Amino acid sequence: MSIQLDTTAVEKMKSFHCETKCTWCDGCGDYGIWTAIKRALSELGYSPWQVLLCYDVGCHGNMSDKLNGYRFHGLHGRVLPFAAGAKLANMNVPVIAHGGDGASFSEGVGHLVHSIRSQYPVTFILHNNANYGLTTGQASSLTWQGQPMNTNPNGMAEQTLPSMDFVFSLQPTFVARGFSGNIPQMVEILKAAIQHRGFAFVDMLQACPTYNHFATHEYLLSKCYDANAEGHDVKDFEKARYLATHNADRIATGILYQNEDIPNFYERLVPRQGKKTQAVDEVEKVDISELMKEFI
Amino acid sequence: MSRVSLKIVGASGQGINSVGEILAKGLKRAGYCVFGYREYPSLIKGGHASYQLDIESAHAIESSELQVHALITLNHHGLELNLQDLKENGIVVHQTPNWLLKPEEAALVRQRNIKLIELPVDSILARLGAKPILGNVLIAAYMWAVLGQDKELLKTMVGERFAKKKDLLELNMQCIEEGFAYADPAHGKLSIAVPEPRDIWKDHLLLRGSEAMGMGAVHAGVRLYAGYPMTPSSPLLTYIADVQNKTGMVIKQAEDEITAAQMVSGAMFMGTRALTATSGGGFDLMSETLSLNGITENPTVFVLAQRPGPATGLPTWTAQGDLMLAVHTAHGEFPRCVVSTSNAQDSFELMPIAFNIAEEFQMSVIVMTDKQIAEALYTQAPFDQEKTQVLRGSRLASEDQLPALKPTDRYDASAVDGVSLRWLPGQKAATFAGQGDEHTAAGSVDESAHNAVSQMEKRMRKHEALKATLPEPDIYGDADPNAPIDIVLVGWGSTKSVIIDVLRDPLFAGKRIDYVHYTYLWPLKTELLEKLAASGRKVLLIEGNFQAQLGKLIMQECGLKIPHHIVKYDGRPFFYDELRDALRTVITSDASSSRTVLETPVTHHP
Ligand SMILES: Cc1ncc(C[n+]2csc(CCOP(=O)(O)OP(=O)(O)O)c2C)c(N)n1
Repeated sequence: MSIQLDTTAVEKMKSFHCETKCTWCDGCGDYGIWTAIKRALSELGYSPWQVLLCYDVGCHGNMSDKLNGYRFHGLHGRVLPFAAGAKLANMNVPVIAHGGDGASFSEGVGHLVHSIRSQYPVTFILHNNANYGLTTGQASSLTWQGQPMNTNPNGMAEQTLPSMDFVFSLQPTFVARGFSGNIPQMVEILKAAIQHRGFAFVDMLQACPTYNHFATHEYLLSKCYDANAEGHDVKDFEKARYLATHNADRIATGILYQNEDIPNFYERLVPRQGKKTQAVDEVEKVDISELMKEFI
Repeated sequence: MSRVSLKIVGASGQGINSVGEILAKGLKRAGYCVFGYREYPSLIKGGHASYQLDIESAHAIESSELQVHALITLNHHGLELNLQDLKENGIVVHQTPNWLLKPEEAALVRQRNIKLIELPVDSILARLGAKPILGNVLIAAYMWAVLGQDKELLKTMVGERFAKKKDLLELNMQCIEEGFAYADPAHGKLSIAVPEPRDIWKDHLLLRGSEAMGMGAVHAGVRLYAGYPMTPSSPLLTYIADVQNKTGMVIKQAEDEITAAQMVSGAMFMGTRALTATSGGGFDLMSETLSLNGITENPTVFVLAQRPGPATGLPTWTAQGDLMLAVHTAHGEFPRCVVSTSNAQDSFELMPIAFNIAEEFQMSVIVMTDKQIAEALYTQAPFDQEKTQVLRGSRLASEDQLPALKPTDRYDASAVDGVSLRWLPGQKAATFAGQGDEHTAAGSVDESAHNAVSQMEKRMRKHEALKATLPEPDIYGDADPNAPIDIVLVGWGSTKSVIIDVLRDPLFAGKRIDYVHYTYLWPLKTELLEKLAASGRKVLLIEGNFQAQLGKLIMQECGLKIPHHIVKYDGRPFFYDELRDALRTVITSDASSSRTVLETPVTHHP
């Protein structure tokens, strides 16, 4: 007697696989995030050709050739404006941007501020390993103060940037936090983020076994809990902010805040109201006779 | 009777722009070719500013004279600062009661036979019960009468201008009557002889280079614009933003120039046409993105609107100092194209061309302009839309090609001219990575020596392929090609307009002067120039920068050292009369090499 096997889901997931071998360190949180993103896209029913994945420069950026999908691997700190420009040109393509904490809270922090306030319809995955991985373990602004790091042998002198407080101060419409050791939860978070109306900020706490000796995999494993499972109301902004910023005893993960009532940037553009086409469909010679009349 | 020039001066924000615009549009509609030029300091109120109109009817003009026929000054500073700008028999219209000229000013007035008249603006307005703002119409009307123009035309124009302020219309019309009444002989008649108007100019457009460029961008199919304000690129952003409800374009005032450059790069990668513009400082910030577009072979177009640097430099003035920047900026070696506009006509025409080049060769195109082009007013024949082509690139995969595409087609290093197939996110096909690291044909990271060589060579082949398609520079010159050439002039950018105007000057009658104008600056074609230079004639470079940067590029590319230079780097454009005189000196001199540095006289420093 043979057992009936259904492999359709596998085929979908496999379409995102590619030949390139992974080069992350043993135990790097990027493996988990990499798996979760492929699974989230598969579960949502996307094929590789239907999505655009944009990568900043860093360890996570080395994911750019480790999966299928249209991908772009740009400059350090600049992934968000690139992703936003791409998305605004074709709203039919989900655009997912990946960046490290170095990229997002130092080199390109301005872009994060303006992406949140602009409410671009883009998903942003923060690969938060609390250090500069690719450049061999220097402190980032999310490294814990006092931690000795490469180039900070006496411990990081600066304050740690309160990243979640900062993000919440910008009136985000989607904030979630995942942990690279919990793939099923990351998948659910990513699915919600990808489907969100506006800018989705996803803080993925990730282990960096080589350079992060403070917020280790074991540490995160012991601290992280699923706030949604405990009945957290994702519409409650103040509670979400509280949960996101009070991490001493336990670290709340899951979808912390979501507001679907705020229009995204594109929806606010008056000239685009009622347009059935995308900017990518509209490239043609445009008659400017009307515009010329202004100048006679 | 040939070209006539009027200059309106006053404090920034005092109304010189209104007077200038009314007169400019009116004169164009009356049948003149008008060229408008503004000078203003980098502040909003106060400071001495000017709006100059040069008019002609026999032929087009696109330059200003230093010495003007008429000065209209809205405050007493103009009487102090600008008297020296007047030609012999010039006239001055001012509104400062009981103004006493200093002895040397009085002497100048006598010597040049300058006529001064006070237009009692305040008392006329008080009598009408009109606010000071209406003084602009009064002054414009007075000048309109002095220029011997038709009152009804002015009324129509003022009516259009104030269509939304109906309550003020009647008072405006009274101001026109008063202006004409004051121009009556009873008040000591002034008049300026102007050329006979010609109908051909009436239907021309009167517009800034930025507006021409904006229309060119719309015409070229640009659907997304991202920019950060910086003079002199801001008028383009303003224009594109102002017409957004007509064009339906996606507009973003970005948080900085890096953002703007990245956004348009993302939008182009996705497959639309997107544009950004900036000036030198902002362009510096964009240079890393330029390099990224080099390795990802992402077609992009950047407008670089020049003003004098370094740093903040002279924010509201003009220069041609960023040619080297455009050609050399950004790390690593990669092909790019640099073109320069020179006036409204090519500001329009070059936009579709720039995008066509960018998409055909999958590289960045830098379109240069400067403050002079961006903000000067040109009288422009309506743009010919027939000949425009929107070409998305011969290697943009067609729908039929999609199913058979392999990821390795994207950066296939075997492409003979270096241009490989390109397709777009969202298209049902094999996927690839646009990769900022050195990469394989599919965009996967590859640090091997052999791959680095083949990808570098692939990309750099595009430089040669592009160069082969670019035209040699344009030659403007004498009708008689057989006459021996007296001198060959070489230049680029906004100096073209003034050079062409100067070549018409009677001073150069009978001389054969060829002007070689470079629109396509990189890759640089030199064959034609080398041929002309080999004829043994004098060759003179005219550039608005210190180093004679085009001269350096020419030397770099073909070894030709141009011996004579006229350069200017004081923030001012080349003026008609100063260039004419400098050119005459070079032509008549026996020196085998020369460097002439032009500097506009002190009155042009507001
Ligand atoms: C303009 C620029 N500056 C510096 C670098 C070097 N650099 C590459 S990645 C990186 C930081 C990586 O840290 P992070 O963004 O946290 O990403 P991670 O490697 O930890 O994933 C730096 C400084 C660069 N590529 N470009």
